[in-house]
Amino acid sequence: MFASQRNINTQLTLLALAIGTSISPAYAQGYGIQNANRDKANTEKWECKRCTVNSGFSGSVGVGAAYNDADDIHFGNTAGTDKDGVVGHLDADLVNKAESGYQTSFVADKLGYDTGTATLETGRPGHYNITLGYRGLAHYDTNDALSPYVNNGDNQSLPSNWQTGAITSQMPTLLEDVRNLELKTERERFLLGGDYLGSFYRAEVNYQHEKRQGKRAFSGNILTNSAMLAQPIDDTTDEFGAKIYFNGKGWLIGVDSSFSQYKNDHDAISWQNAFTPTFGAAYSGQSAVSPDNKAYRIGANAQLSGNGHQVLMHLGVASFTQDDAFLPATINGLSPALPTTSLDGKVDTTEMKLKYNGRIVRGLSVRASYDYSDRDNKTTLNPYPQVITDSYYAGTAINPEYDRTKQQAKLAAKYRINRAIYLNAGYQYDHNDYSDLDRDSLKQNSVFAKVNYSITSSWSAWLKAEFSDRSGSTYKAVTTTNSQSNPYLRKSYLADRERQKYQLSINFNPESALSASANVHVSSDDYDDTLVGLTQVDTQGYDISANYLLSDDLSINAYLNQDWRDSDQAGSSNFGLPNWFVNTDEKSTVIGAGVDYLHLLDKKLDLGLDYTYSDGQSDTEITQGLTSPYGDYFAKRHNINAFAQYHLNEKMALRFDWIFENYQDSDWLNQGTSVDTIPNVLTFGDLSHDYSAHYVGLTFSYQL
Amino acid sequence: MKRATLAHLANRALASKKIILLAIIAMLAACSGDDGTSGNPGEPGGPPASEINALNIAINEVLFEAGIATVNYRITNESDEPVVGIPSATYLAAQLLPQGFTNAGNASEWQYFTSESCSSSCDGEFVDHKNGQYSYTFSAAFDGLNDIAFMPGATQRVVIKVGGDALPDGTDLPVTNQHYDWQDNGSAPAYTRNLIEMQTCNTCHNDLAFHGSKYNEVETCVTCHNADKVSNPDNVFAPMVHSKHLTGFPVSLADCQTCHVADETLTENMNWARVPTMAACGSCHTNIDFPSGQGHPAQVDNSNCVACHNPDWTMSAHSQADTDAVLGQFNVEVVSAKLNGDAVDFSVRLSNPATNEVYSDSADKLDFIDDLRVYANFGISVDYTTRSAKSIKLQDVEPISGSNGIYHYQIAGLTLSDDPATDKGSLALQGKLCSNDAMLANCADSDVTTTIKSSYQFFSATEVTEQGRRMVVSNETCGSCHGDQQLNYHGSRNDLEQQCQLCHNPNMQADASAVNPAASTADYKHLAHTLHAGSRESYPDINYPGNIGNCAQCHTTDDTGVLTVALPLSPTVQPLAFNDGSFTSATSAICSACHLSDSAKAHMTQQGGVFNGTEADATAGTESCATCHGQGASADVLKVHPIK
Repeated sequence: MFASQRNINTQLTLLALAIGTSISPAYAQGYGIQNANRDKANTEKWECKRCTVNSGFSGSVGVGAAYNDADDIHFGNTAGTDKDGVVGHLDADLVNKAESGYQTSFVADKLGYDTGTATLETGRPGHYNITLGYRGLAHYDTNDALSPYVNNGDNQSLPSNWQTGAITSQMPTLLEDVRNLELKTERERFLLGGDYLGSFYRAEVNYQHEKRQGKRAFSGNILTNSAMLAQPIDDTTDEFGAKIYFNGKGWLIGVDSSFSQYKNDHDAISWQNAFTPTFGAAYSGQSAVSPDNKAYRIGANAQLSGNGHQVLMHLGVASFTQDDAFLPATINGLSPALPTTSLDGKVDTTEMKLKYNGRIVRGLSVRASYDYSDRDNKTTLNPYPQVITDSYYAGTAINPEYDRTKQQAKLAAKYRINRAIYLNAGYQYDHNDYSDLDRDSLKQNSVFAKVNYSITSSWSAWLKAEFSDRSGSTYKAVTTTNSQSNPYLRKSYLADRERQKYQLSINFNPESALSASANVHVSSDDYDDTLVGLTQVDTQGYDISANYLLSDDLSINAYLNQDWRDSDQAGSSNFGLPNWFVNTDEKSTVIGAGVDYLHLLDKKLDLGLDYTYSDGQSDTEITQGLTSPYGDYFAKRHNINAFAQYHLNEKMALRFDWIFENYQDSDWLNQGTSVDTIPNVLTFGDLSHDYSAHYVGLTFSYQL
Repeated sequence: MKRATLAHLANRALASKKIILLAIIAMLAACSGDDGTSGNPGEPGGPPASEINALNIAINEVLFEAGIATVNYRITNESDEPVVGIPSATYLAAQLLPQGFTNAGNASEWQYFTSESCSSSCDGEFVDHKNGQYSYTFSAAFDGLNDIAFMPGATQRVVIKVGGDALPDGTDLPVTNQHYDWQDNGSAPAYTRNLIEMQTCNTCHNDLAFHGSKYNEVETCVTCHNADKVSNPDNVFAPMVHSKHLTGFPVSLADCQTCHVADETLTENMNWARVPTMAACGSCHTNIDFPSGQGHPAQVDNSNCVACHNPDWTMSAHSQADTDAVLGQFNVEVVSAKLNGDAVDFSVRLSNPATNEVYSDSADKLDFIDDLRVYANFGISVDYTTRSAKSIKLQDVEPISGSNGIYHYQIAGLTLSDDPATDKGSLALQGKLCSNDAMLANCADSDVTTTIKSSYQFFSATEVTEQGRRMVVSNETCGSCHGDQQLNYHGSRNDLEQQCQLCHNPNMQADASAVNPAASTADYKHLAHTLHAGSRESYPDINYPGNIGNCAQCHTTDDTGVLTVALPLSPTVQPLAFNDGSFTSATSAICSACHLSDSAKAHMTQQGGVFNGTEADATAGTESCATCHGQGASADVLKVHPIK
């Protein structure tokens, strides 16, 4: 983390890279830099002679003001703020370097917006660093949700003069009492980190505190009636991590550990029943919220390499616990006794990885790996009384364990036929064991083959084919659910499946102004033993992108991406063989084009313009003799992002930003509805968006 | 021909005995009549049918052109010989909307399009291909008929009704309905509404037919009895049929599967539990008004029903499973019995079949026994003696002796028959058990009782015996309408096979002044006959659902496979006793319960029957009924009754 501002300097860089690759297990295919033969390298000579260190203050600061059109707060996802009208922000990119090598930097972007960031970093790059950071994240859903409920702490209450109704249209004051609510989530992250690099080791500690606030949709159910509620979110997550790594010639070993703690300011969500109770005295409902919980994790990594062979080992254990006090089984009438006062839940996981990479002979390398992961739920099993939606007692149920053991073995080889062509092929076996699911185990055999072909120095291409076959133990529908499963149902994640996937990629990368690439992919999932359930999924897609440097100052780029997904599902209305069928066609299109024109007007003016269009839609048709389509489900966005930066003089610049967005989405689930459209669901109404919004900003920056 | 006559008979509103008699006579006349002439020779499809007892209509296809349907079908007789020259037919067309289509939770619904007829003239175009093949083209496209839009892909139904008239040569044609479900795109229908077989209805109703006996298949009924055809919503098929069975139903209404019989060949046969709707459920649960929330929380439509009343719940609520489970934990048997003077000494063993264990305590010590009584009568040779001995309640009396599950009791004061040493008697048992859901429970803790299945044990002067009184009706035959020992009288007596007869025996007397004396005695045979015929004053509401002339609905067969109505009667059958001391000879008494016209009585008297004579005359054996009506004779009662 925060490795963005480090100067490339001396032999330590390689070590840092080695550590980096061992931590993030993205191993290259045998020819990666970690496989380079460094034994004879005179790294002294690698020192950058031209990287002169400039001491003193440098960088820039900027202040900006903008007009933001946030009638629909959804535009905030693009603009970075949901504040309507004039908004201000601060940007900075400052660094102070001392002759000694000591360096302090401050970087800020859009500070003042919900999505602003700031980082203060001090230390001696390559030796030690201390980082202090802030980052805002926000997601804006809607400011148009309608509800008669008022939120106070854990409670959702109705106006004092509320009159219940058996159905929404019989609630006499509903339409007068509804108000607009915002559904959005804002997160603020504070970070503190430090790292130290010794001669043969590296140590790193970091701490992150995240505070989350906002509201999200919640469904308050009482028997067959339901009210959509804006559930308040007020919680924090603290994470602490520490790592230490030791290295020597051909080996590296290390331990990393982390601890995280989640705290929810809310204990429950409780709500007044807007409906006339179906049974007795169900005047209110209560539901548990995410409980406070903790997680610990510790892992050990080791890496050995030499003579073209490399072995990597990882062992990790983690433990997840929560012990929040239970709410009563019901708040309506006498609650049946619970077997314990809290869950005292504990889940332990164990993870093990073993990898080998090696070059066997010239042109042939192999890699093999074995991964093991186990989830062991150690929570005590108890019979818990079931009071269905605070209404009636329905016996007891035992908490299922959902234990799981996953094993994966891979064997692959890469063979270089000649300078232009190499082959890559492999086999993978996956074996999963489960408890409390409809199948005890699943196994999958997969093979893949890939050929890379460098046609000319400018043209290259690769083609990849994959095939996998999944099956497992006898399918026995679980009996722990409230309603029985159709005996012909095969849940898609446990069903037998044959998968085929093909990809073709062509790249044009000459040493000239134009570069381009194109990819095509198709896949097919055939659930060959499923009569009821998901039976077939086919996908196709392609993307094309090109970049053209017209001159040093003028470049244009464009891209086009389209994907299709076609899913077939079979169902049964009479608990027998399939007699209705669903086809879902999904399609997404992304088109973009951009131009950057720099150094105009005697190098005083830079211009940039980007346009993107994205369109995602899903069409579902259900057929049982008669064919009936579902309604609209789509999102469409046109986005223009333009800037003009004018350098007033060597130190000062003025930047103008313009963002325009035209956005529409709709979901047949709530399209065209009002709060009382559905008799037994008090909804938020129509939550679709349809807006055109502008963001116009002016930023003044000063170069130090 | 036979079907038509019987269907006519089933119109029980007109089923006075006179009409039955006439109908039987008419049938005999018809059977000895013309065989019919041969059909046109040389036509393809084989020689035309020469005799027709049944018609088979095979609908080959429905051709659909420009929205107009043409149905091609073939009609044959019971021997698969083509039937040519059918003079008339009716064609019905309807469309089925799938479950949940009209709104979430709604059942599938039939939509009536049209009914067209052909006789001397046709609504549409009728072609007799003269080889058993026929075609009918409807007069118009279905789309828009009866204001119903034809929906491509929907399941469609065509019903053809023929019969009830005769071929040009005079051969009678039985009324026959045949349906055909199809889909306009040519493939098999994607969904159906096959809930019930007509055969199930006819287990009680025999040959049910309506509207002038024209329509006799449930698949026909539903094409018209739907919301788009009938003006009164009470006449939509499901609510109509449910509410018609609400009164006088011979078995518990709570058992939906009396009619909705489990049948894997009917894809929707579990709809009664899986598709609860306000209309279907409300037609039995008549105290509920769903929209206004009377008797049930308000519901505006069917979308929520299944959320609470899921199939498991509904099946469990209407299930006999708890009763069966409770009964499975208790068995009572008489293990020994013998005469001791005018008393019977017997021993009883109580056991739990579920665990295969004997209850070691006697009944008076078992806290789950609410009632367990034993009755006795001795004198099977005379269909029992007058009722005399008082029954004993095992839960109240201490056994005389016994241990470890077998306990000895005595019933004293039996009236014995003339020669007890060669005669036999019966012990009958009845009772109730205290229960809680599926388990036996202490009666102090539970108000719920489960009635056991009554049982009996024959015994001689010295021991228990297999053989005893002849079996005339069985619990199985009674159960075809009343459920398996589900009909309880006098609290918990439900063994209709052998228990009732202990008291309802020939010593019961008829009212000498009664118009129909059989309807005034409680002697079992006369009681059962007149009850089902609806001729007893104290049971005026009895509407026998089947054909009263079908003796086999109730009577069982003897060891040799002969129906127990066959003449001559068993010599143990006693004459009908009257309260003025007179007697009517046994056979005449039985026949005249239904055949009570003066002419019928005169016929019986002429043939030796004695009405209200002395006991000596009534038992002198002067009846010669069996000569003509005996088994195998020309007018065998087994043949002259419409027995199926």
